[in-house]
This record gives sequence, C-alpha cells and structure tokens, in this order.
Amino acid sequence: MWQWLVRLYHRLGSPKWFYEMTERWIFWLALAAGGSAIVGLVLGLLYAPADYQQGDSFRIIYIHVPAALLAQSAYMMMAVAGAVYLIWRMKMAAWVAKVIAPVGAAFCLIALLTGAIWGKPTWGTWWVWDARLTSMLMLLFLYFGVMALQQAMESEEASYKAGAILALVGLVNIPIIKYSVEWWNTLHQPATLKLTEKPSMHPDMLWPLLIMIVSTYLFFALVVILRTRNEILWHERKRQWVRKILES
Amino acid sequence: MHPQRKKRLHLILFLVLAVASAVGLAMYSLSQNINLFQTPTQIANGEVPPGRTIRAGGLVVEGSVERDQQGLGVTFRVTDGQSEVPVFYDGILPDLFREGQGIVALGEVNTEGLFVASEVLAKHDENYMPPEVQAALEQAHQDGKAQMEAAAKEASY
Amino acid sequence: MSLVRATVRRDLLLAARNPGEWANPLMFFLMVAALFPMAVDPNPEFLSKISGGVIWVAALLATLLSLDSLYRADVEDGSLEQWLASGESLYAMSLGKALVHWCISGLPLTLMSPLLGVMLHLPEDAYFALFISLAVGTPVLSLLGAVGAALTASLRSGGLLLTLLILPLYVPVLIFAASAVYHAGIGMAYNGQVAMLGAMLALALALTPFAAGAALKLNLSR
Repeated sequence: MWQWLVRLYHRLGSPKWFYEMTERWIFWLALAAGGSAIVGLVLGLLYAPADYQQGDSFRIIYIHVPAALLAQSAYMMMAVAGAVYLIWRMKMAAWVAKVIAPVGAAFCLIALLTGAIWGKPTWGTWWVWDARLTSMLMLLFLYFGVMALQQAMESEEASYKAGAILALVGLVNIPIIKYSVEWWNTLHQPATLKLTEKPSMHPDMLWPLLIMIVSTYLFFALVVILRTRNEILWHERKRQWVRKILES
Repeated sequence: MHPQRKKRLHLILFLVLAVASAVGLAMYSLSQNINLFQTPTQIANGEVPPGRTIRAGGLVVEGSVERDQQGLGVTFRVTDGQSEVPVFYDGILPDLFREGQGIVALGEVNTEGLFVASEVLAKHDENYMPPEVQAALEQAHQDGKAQMEAAAKEASY
Repeated sequence: MSLVRATVRRDLLLAARNPGEWANPLMFFLMVAALFPMAVDPNPEFLSKISGGVIWVAALLATLLSLDSLYRADVEDGSLEQWLASGESLYAMSLGKALVHWCISGLPLTLMSPLLGVMLHLPEDAYFALFISLAVGTPVLSLLGAVGAALTASLRSGGLLLTLLILPLYVPVLIFAASAVYHAGIGMAYNGQVAMLGAMLALALALTPFAAGAALKLNLSR
C-alpha cells in the first residue's frame, strides 16, 4: 500500500504522466459532470416536493449548498497542495494550488450570491452580519489575497511559496465557517447534511442535492484538470514531448 | 543537555503552553454569551439595559400574534421555552413569519419591558420536508400524545 | 538569542531616535477618529453608540500603516541574510520583530485610547473594556501583520497588497473587540469576548512566527 502511494506520488509529480493520463479522463469527467448536473437539476427543480415552510424558494439549495461546500473544500485543497509544494518542492502541486484559487473564489461568490437571493424571501433580508455569512465573506477575501499575492511576486517560485504560506495561515477560517452555526446563535440555520447523523431532509429532496454535490465536485475536478494541463503546456513548452504535441 | 535540544524543548514547551491556553480561553469564551442575539430569558431577567439596541431571538408563541386594526403594527410574544418577552413591530414581516417560527428581531427594550423592534428577520431550521409529510408528522405527534394521555388516564384509575 | 535581543534593542532605539516612525501612525489614529464626528453626526448620543467600533477601526488602520516598513529595511540592507546565515531561529526573530512592532504601534495606541474615548463620547462603562480589548487585541494585529509584512517585504508596491492580505485575517479580532466595547457600553458582560481575544493572542503567539519565518526566507530567493 505504502509503496503504491509512493509510486503514485512520483507519477503525479511528473507533468508528462499527468498530461497523458488526464487526456483520457476529460471526456468521461465532462460527461459525468454534465449528466449528473442535468439529472440533479431536473429532479431538484421539477420533481422534488415543495418545502412545508419555504415552498419553492428552498430549491436554490441545489446550487447554494454544493457551491458553499466546494468553496471550502477547494480552499483546503489549495492549502494542502501549497503545503506539499513547500515541503517536497513538487512543482505539480504548486500549479494545482495556483489554478484552484480563481475557481474556488468563483464558487465562493456563487454561494454568497445564491445565499443572498435565498435570504431575501425567507429571512427577509439580503444580508446580515452573522458569523456564518461574515466568515464566508472572509473566505472570498482570502482567495483574493492569495491571487493578488501570487500576481505581485516577481519570481515564479516565490509566488508559489508566498501563496502557499498565506493559504495555510488562512486555513484557520475553515473551522470557523463550519462551526459558526453551532458556536453562535446565528440567523443561518445549522447544517442539513452531517457526516455522523441522518440528514434532516426528506429523501425526495435529499437525492437531488446529493447528486448536485457530486456533479459540482466533478465539474470542479474537470476545470482544475483542464487548467492544470494548460499550466503544464506553458511551463514545459520547451520540452520535446510538448513540442511534438503542439506540432501535430 | 545539548544546547540545541534545550532550545527545541523550550520551543515545544512554549507551543504547548500557548495552544493549551488558547483552547482553555476559547472554551471559557464559548461558555459565556457572545451571540448574535439575546434570549428572552436574558431580557426577562433584566440583563439587557433598556433603550439599547440589541438583537433578540426566539420562537413566536402560538396564538400570541395580534395585528393592529390600522397600519402594519403587530404585537407578539417570543419565547425560548423558559421566559416570554412581548415584541412590537411596525413594518413588513418576512414571508416565513408565522406562529411557532424562530425569529431574530433588532430593536430595544423600553422601560415597560416591551421589545420595540425596528427589523424582524425569520429564521428557518435545517429540516426540509414536503407539506404532506409535515402534516403526517404533526398527526402522529398528536396521536402519540392522545395515546399517552389515554394511557395516563387508564393508569390513574 | 543574543542576536534577537540585539535586533530588538536596535529597532527600539531606532524608533526612539526617529519619533516619526511611531508618532505618525498615532496622529493618523487621532485624525481618523476625529473625522467621524465631523463627517457623520456630532450628536453625543449617536457618537457614544459607534465610538467603540470607530476607535477599533482607526486602530486597525493605524497598525497597518506602520507594518509595511517592518522588514523592508532588513531586506534592503542585508540584515536578513545575516540572520539566516547566523543559524539563529527565525521563529524567535519573527516573534521579536512582532513584539517591537507592537511596542511602537499597539502599545501607544492602547495608552492613548482614553483620549479618543473622550473625543467620541464613549460610554463611561466602556473605557476599561476599550483599554483591555486594545491591550489584548493589538498584539494579535502585530503578529498577524508581521506575516504579511514578511511576505511582501521585497515587493516594490507592497503596502497596498499587504492591506489586502491582512485585513481579512484581522476581521475576527475586530468583531470580538468591538463587540466587547459595545456590550460594556450598554452595561452587559464582556468577559467572553475578551477571553476570545486572549485565545487568539495565544494562538497567534504560537503559530504566526512559523509562517513569518518561512515567509522571510522567500525574500532571498529573488
């Protein structure tokens, strides 16, 4: 097992291997992400029953929750990739961390916007400065900070390292977001999906949500892989194998 | 001890001490009240001085909502299970506002103990279900209650 | 350790000989706080409601103002290379530098806060809360800020970027501190908020010097 992991690590560290390997994945990933999004949206918007309290306005959950979950996971992945780069100097990790930042920021923005749209009809306000909303806004700013820092650094290596350090420092925000609804009396409701307990949602409403979450993660994987491939082509443009691809 | 190791030991001791005190202080802090809103019990106990802007949160008491004959004014009571506080609000209530619903109100307590709200927001919980299921649950709940009451009656004979 | 002590002493001496370094942020602090009554509403009742938050925001901005130069001189004159070559732990060095920064920014701000309280009609009950929240909270600002200063030390236009990086990390401090002052002002308990600031300080003391030390090394790989 351990040896297998080491081998996988070395392979992942090789841009050429990654590029050739993902060539085959892209089509299936795109198909799976698109297909599950269609299924999830149709089930969620047309077939799931209306909520007993919120009526149809709860349906925005099918965008809001996946985007919010992904914004946080993406930040964690960015920080972990950054840490891998800092410790083992694996270039691929730095590229992955770099390409995740704008994607994560976009999902964070989507979560905030859909949250505002959901808040108006249910809570009666677009925005309230409670712990959950504020910490999510901070997450967006942290993404911006990482991106701005990477842009400002002159040497590429320094930009990766600086971004990784900032991402790791900002990691404190993640548990704050997660537990904000339990530590404080917030206006935002506690989590519906929990790892250890049964979700507090009717199965007819739950399935589309789970499908949408899977679909969002697949979409994220697809975008990150495509963007990483671009990084690889750019950084390895002087290598023989890339030239061959570009010529053909 | 080797000076290098001694240094490392000092660093680790310092780190452990700092992290432990951070955890301790955070635990203490969370046991205090540092919330977005105050509970009706706190307001009823006079912990909130009158005339100061605060947020109050709780459940709207069933059957307590009274609308003014003219205008938008509405009075209701808010409870946390222990105490109740009367609330007055003059404005448009959110769609989700109804009896038994959780709300958060921004406003101040006047000298008579009435909470005058300038904004009322509705909280909704993390449970989602279709109305039929909710009705069925309610029914089951009441049936259960009736059965329990019947059982209690029988037992008392 | 002697290197850290010498650097701290040198920096404090430099600050003492060059009062502008610490006095300018203080003047900034005073002026920002004075702008609010002029621009918004000089009514004492209104001011007493916002004074705690205004003082804290002003303190936060004043801290940022002096952060930019924290490591710049050391990077430019080669002191940083000397530190790295000396084998002295960068952890202790970053901690020492953050401490110096607090001594010339957060400490004077804390000592001057009652004056601002008077200017902005801070409720009488809130003076102690303001003082204690600044005393516990501003070191956190210095420690977090030192990470940002180390990250941007070798950049030409680092100042604005530093603000962008560090402000989101300052928000929790601001929330708890302002909440402590506000609750003290309306006569409610605020020990929970101060304890939370204390927890942040302990955590920042333990962890931020690692990040700052790692960030310092970046400035050599130019």
